[in-house]
Amino acid sequence: MKTQNQDGYMLLFRGNDWIKALSPEEKQKVTDQWMAWFRRLTDDGKAVAGNPLEREGKIVSGKNRVVSDGPFAESKEAIGGYFLLDVASMDEAVAIAQECPGLPYGVRVEVRPVAPECPVASELKREAEFARA
Amino acid sequence: MNTQNQNGYMLLYRSDEWYNRLSQEELRDLMNQNKAWIEKWTEQGKAKPGRALERRGAIVSGKNGRYVTDGPFAESKEAIGGYLVLDVETLDKAIAIAQTIPSLAYGGSIEVRPLAEECPLDVRARELAREEELATV
Repeated sequence: MKTQNQDGYMLLFRGNDWIKALSPEEKQKVTDQWMAWFRRLTDDGKAVAGNPLEREGKIVSGKNRVVSDGPFAESKEAIGGYFLLDVASMDEAVAIAQECPGLPYGVRVEVRPVAPECPVASELKREAEFARA
Repeated sequence: MNTQNQNGYMLLYRSDEWYNRLSQEELRDLMNQNKAWIEKWTEQGKAKPGRALERRGAIVSGKNGRYVTDGPFAESKEAIGGYLVLDVETLDKAIAIAQTIPSLAYGGSIEVRPLAEECPLDVRARELAREEELATV
């Protein structure tokens, strides 16, 4: 895949359950690697933002705006943090994702192109074009 | 819950492509509501402009990232469609703002997560070191 994208890419780090299995030394090692990786990407101008997320939070859903707890600590799917990358191709974003120090421990990295506008606006344009055609 | 957090909260928009099912009129109406919503909270200094994500991408996994697969980013109701950061100090306030998001009327959900000051791994490593220290005293 070689999709060009002006708006950059987001890396979402998935999986929070692997941390428990590590010894304190291993934890320290992965953390140091992760920080060094982020610092290098920032210095190279390739990472523009990034943050870990706390292993807690809530989910608000549906018409009735119901508030519920999410499984954020134990889940394999839960998002533990993100990087925002200023790179122009999917290939480059994937290559950076492949350097993630959490990968050997089971972390999965979701690589997503940032959209130029809100999907509701794009859909509206598409429907308007369709109506004109 | 009234967890204090200096770093703000991230709202993750989760949904399938529900907007494909709306009429032009509904889309236009929702777009105006969205615009008013974001203007209101940014003017109050409580929201920073967020970004939408394309409904495509890849999942990288395995040692050295040897597996690169396509994710189901379009159909899944759990897929993340965008994000926004709120500059408020409590989870309660972040939830209250999330509850006013106009698109919730069409389904989907909003995940509200405190941004961490430092990596939770680091914090945990420190806690374990402290426990060990106490155990040897």
